[in-house]
Amino acid sequence: MGQKTPQIYSVELNGAKDMKQTDKGDDKDKYRGLWSTCLELRKNHHKEHVTKEIDLDDHKLSNKELENKYHTNIVTGLSSTQAAELLARDGPNALSPPQETPEIIKFLKQMVGGFSILLWVGAILCWIAYGIQFSNDKSSSLDNVYLGTVLALVVILTGIFAYYQEAKSTNIMASFSKMIPQQALVIRDSEKKIIPAEQLVVGDIVEIKGGDQIPADIRLLFAQGCKVDNSSLTGESEPQPRSCEFTHDNPLETKNIGFYSTTCLEGTATGMVINTGDRTIIGHIASLASGVGNEKTPIATEIEHFVHIVAGVAISIGVLFFIIAVSMKYRVLDSIIFLIGIIVANVPEGLLATVTVTLSLTAKRMAKKNCLVKNLEAVETLGSTSIICSDKTGTLTQNRMTVAHLWFDNQIFMADTSEDHFKQTFDQSSGTWASLSKIITLCNRAEFRPGQERVPIMKRVVVGDASETALLKFSEVVLGDVMEIRKRNHKVAEIPFNSTNKFQLSIHKTDDPTDKRFLMVMKGAPEKILEKCSTIMVNGQEQPLDQSTAEAFYTAYMELGGLGERVLGFCHLYLSADEFPETYSFDVDAMNFPMSNLCFVGLLSMIDPPRSTVPDAITKCRSAGIKVIMVTGDHPITAKAIAKSVGIISANSETVEDIAKRLNIAVEQVNKQDAKAVVVTGMELKDMSEDQLDEVLTSYPEIVFARTSPQQKLIIVEGCQRQDAVVAVTGDGVNDSPALKKADIGIAMGIAGSDAAKNAADMVLLDDNFASIVTGVEEGRLIFDNLKKTIAYTLTKNIAELCPFLIYIIVGVPLPLGTITILFIDLGTDIVPSIALAYEKAESDIMNRKPRHKKKDRLVNKPLAVYSYLHIGLMQSLGAFLVYFTVYAQEGFRPSTLINLRVEWEKDFVNNLEDSYGQEWTRYQRKYLEWTGYTAFFIGIMIQQIADLIIRKTRKNSIFQQGLFRNKVIWVGIASQIIIALILSYGLGSITALNFTMLRPQYWFVAVPHAFLIWVYDEVRKLFIRLYPGSWWDKNMYY
Amino acid sequence: MWVMLQTLNDEVPKYRDQISSPGLTVFPKPVTALEYSFSVSKRESYEGYIEDLKKFLKPYTAEAQKNLRNCQDGALFEQKGPVYEACQFPLALLEACSGESDPEFGYSKGHPCILVKMNRIIGLKPQGKPAIECTGNSKGENTTTLPVYPSEGNIDLKYFPYYGKKLHASYLQPLVAVQFNYTASSTPKEVTVECKIVGSKNLKNYDDRDKFLGRVAFKITMRA
Repeated sequence: MGQKTPQIYSVELNGAKDMKQTDKGDDKDKYRGLWSTCLELRKNHHKEHVTKEIDLDDHKLSNKELENKYHTNIVTGLSSTQAAELLARDGPNALSPPQETPEIIKFLKQMVGGFSILLWVGAILCWIAYGIQFSNDKSSSLDNVYLGTVLALVVILTGIFAYYQEAKSTNIMASFSKMIPQQALVIRDSEKKIIPAEQLVVGDIVEIKGGDQIPADIRLLFAQGCKVDNSSLTGESEPQPRSCEFTHDNPLETKNIGFYSTTCLEGTATGMVINTGDRTIIGHIASLASGVGNEKTPIATEIEHFVHIVAGVAISIGVLFFIIAVSMKYRVLDSIIFLIGIIVANVPEGLLATVTVTLSLTAKRMAKKNCLVKNLEAVETLGSTSIICSDKTGTLTQNRMTVAHLWFDNQIFMADTSEDHFKQTFDQSSGTWASLSKIITLCNRAEFRPGQERVPIMKRVVVGDASETALLKFSEVVLGDVMEIRKRNHKVAEIPFNSTNKFQLSIHKTDDPTDKRFLMVMKGAPEKILEKCSTIMVNGQEQPLDQSTAEAFYTAYMELGGLGERVLGFCHLYLSADEFPETYSFDVDAMNFPMSNLCFVGLLSMIDPPRSTVPDAITKCRSAGIKVIMVTGDHPITAKAIAKSVGIISANSETVEDIAKRLNIAVEQVNKQDAKAVVVTGMELKDMSEDQLDEVLTSYPEIVFARTSPQQKLIIVEGCQRQDAVVAVTGDGVNDSPALKKADIGIAMGIAGSDAAKNAADMVLLDDNFASIVTGVEEGRLIFDNLKKTIAYTLTKNIAELCPFLIYIIVGVPLPLGTITILFIDLGTDIVPSIALAYEKAESDIMNRKPRHKKKDRLVNKPLAVYSYLHIGLMQSLGAFLVYFTVYAQEGFRPSTLINLRVEWEKDFVNNLEDSYGQEWTRYQRKYLEWTGYTAFFIGIMIQQIADLIIRKTRKNSIFQQGLFRNKVIWVGIASQIIIALILSYGLGSITALNFTMLRPQYWFVAVPHAFLIWVYDEVRKLFIRLYPGSWWDKNMYY
Repeated sequence: MWVMLQTLNDEVPKYRDQISSPGLTVFPKPVTALEYSFSVSKRESYEGYIEDLKKFLKPYTAEAQKNLRNCQDGALFEQKGPVYEACQFPLALLEACSGESDPEFGYSKGHPCILVKMNRIIGLKPQGKPAIECTGNSKGENTTTLPVYPSEGNIDLKYFPYYGKKLHASYLQPLVAVQFNYTASSTPKEVTVECKIVGSKNLKNYDDRDKFLGRVAFKITMRA
């Protein structure tokens, strides 16, 4: 326990080594992962020695030894001065918050990420170009300075935008981590004081009672009926009793230690603080989580891949044409300016901002469906998820004990275990039920907290342990006011449940005033109860308990036990009024009442039932090709039962053990190929090599891991990731947090989830509803498809923006499209349409296909790039050039005249350049014509981008199948394109710096035939894809 | 594309909105910027200018103009075709700058000639009585005189309108010459000249952004 954090950080290394360890400790294995780092370091030492070394012997020490060790006194506590010293030495008793990246670093990252570097280079080249121009000619134009500044602004603004978006989604989370300051009752200077839990130090004596959170790791010195809920730490859904006896070598198993952040459910206890803050078990798990590196999200990888492609194209074309330009005897300065143009044309400046917006739109949509996304990119991750490793308790189950089955009259009855509508449908007419319900009601110490009459029964707060709570709620639902019934049957004596007796007993006056007998009711471990019985009630009549009824009892008991349920037996006895008159004084210590020959009434079994929405959600995951694996700290039988009931193990699949049992052969003889399902325990897992684990993961479609430690959860996640799977982990407990962090996407429960889990997760399910994951998967897949469309749409016009430069350099026509104009397309007309594609509905049922393969199904694949760049892109360029040539020709410059006109055209002192008709143009007149050309080219691209936008609505289906008007936002996008273009041309046409002019209205229509051509071309492409699936065409034309 | 080219008129471009008013240009053709710099005593420093002027004036020789029409002065010469005639522009109008009396256009004498012309624009019909007016601005004392030929820099209306390269192949543009008379003794002699069109309502001579619309400015630096 005293180990330093660096050892904890080396999780992965030790994860592998851990499995090679083969020591045969039984229950310790469950928690081995935690200590493995230390074991590894000292593998030559004897184990006990190690345990001592790591300061875990506190549970073995006597009170006296503890006092000496921590220089404290059990009765008087520490003195204030001592405490202050220790506080100064050890620091406050709080987990150090996970290290946050400083805001400035986050901001700078946005500034240099993606295309930003390329644009910075462009901007700097602009300024350098101006510098050279300026040194040659003091009066050189400021165009390059403007352009450089605009480029820099673009980078900074998109950076700020991305940062803002990121910060916004982080802020939502910040509200979660609000810590409620915790108080602790401590004995110091012989006085009881309430102090903030943060100020606790080792050696403090603290008192806890039911309902408190345990404020630090404590060694119990005194306990009375104390039970703690360790579910967030170990995944055990049952309350764990705590006493001051040393019961187990393993500190996590022994009863005399209470752990920081777990809850004391009932009883009281006094303990000595033995570890505080980060040195607690929770602290170790938390640091284990923070030591796990955050995996890059799949969409981030995809976007990086895409950026590489585009940057690669930009740089190689840029450099190629730089060389061509230089060898064509262009001046180096001009060549640099060309280079800038090529970079600007190639980089889709607005795209990354668009992607961010698209993701955050989806995130918002998901938040409405109770999926809160912390990390925007995680929106898509869920869509590519191929394996979900789900925790059981609290995620798949409701995390509360509920009555599941009843057995009486030789029959098993099923109780409704759903969350809300608690309608019990079993037969309640039998006289046995009347007796059984009386026992359930009376032999129960749990009570509702007062003042909850209006709260639905299932949501009321109860004082009492989990089983009794379940029984109380059950009887309240079935019988009505339990408290009233108890009042009518006055309790005269009681023996509470304890682990030695394994039963609970109470004696009541009956509510029948004519009946003067006492009723003794009893519940407990079924076999113990049966021992005390000689009769059994069937159909309301007492019958002797014979061999066959006993057998029926055992069959029912085994069956319910096999379902992973906790079974309780119930019996009663009416004490004869003669022997026990009304005035009889019952003595529970002397036991002056009969304890045998009772009448057995029935069995009742309880389980933490699955959430009602889970089975359906799991079926949906299955059909979406997602494998759902259960990983839990709970016992294998319970885990398997729940797995079966939610469908993680489907109804007709068997484990090796099931087959063996069915065929009545030894487990070793079973052909492993026959088994579809497997339950692996933590103990088995620890003996497995990496390869064996891989084999388990690949060969069984249905897997349950039980009794796993946090460390092993990590190993399982890593194993899944080795299969190239995108792994989602769901969980709520602290013990899940390392795995949540390690997963490609960690999903925490919002209501039941611990803060540690929520912090480690990428996504929080606000309603704790596993079904929300399915929604998330659907949204994630849709966003991936739609991002493809957005990128294809955006990339297309890059060629139309690039060609003008290439033609300008090679053919020497006046520049068809200015750099600033390009920015107006990328950041103006194109923005809304590309966001609009995010609203596109799915083309087919996306939940019926396999998840995408992380390495094979790329966001930007070859067909996408080729089709966008070389097919539609080139067609678009031709269309735009047509508009450009039309404008020039109709003003006097025929295309043939334009060729190689560039040099004369751009000379400032040539003011009588002759056109094709003998007219002479001044420099400014030419320049104005050039801007008109820019505007024309711009309009040409814009008109064809409308067609591009429409064809991008689908990748396979015809537009008419998809519905032209179903996505209204697309039309908003088209309207925005046209309006922005109108404003630029007619509204701002007079601002020279923007290089727009008022274009004659008819030029707006020159490219329309081309736009239609694009549409028809793409319809034909889609038609062939639909007609010939799997053909060469399909493979090369479907993106 | 082909369809688009078919719609074009061979003779007249569809639109002339972007060149509604002509620019002014000067000859000799400036080499790098609008600056003439030479030394009177060194022939090679101005030889290029003389060659350029000679080349430019070649279509204006009596021989080349003999088939052209001697039009009536002072009125627009509008034609209906199908054959379009051009009006003569006798070089004699340029007097001292015609190159006939002084084949060196005054450069060797320190009185260099610069020719100014209006850009051709199809269908342009100037109103009023267009003329080129030049003003000089030299450093120090203002002692430059700028005689222009033809007198007062007049541009006769008979040279308009222009019907385009194809129909009006033999068209000759009217010219105006400016000559410089430096009287100051200081060297180098430097003068900035600005010429502009005056006297016509529809010919603009000032535009914020276009420094050559109806005007032209150039600089002459002359050393001994």
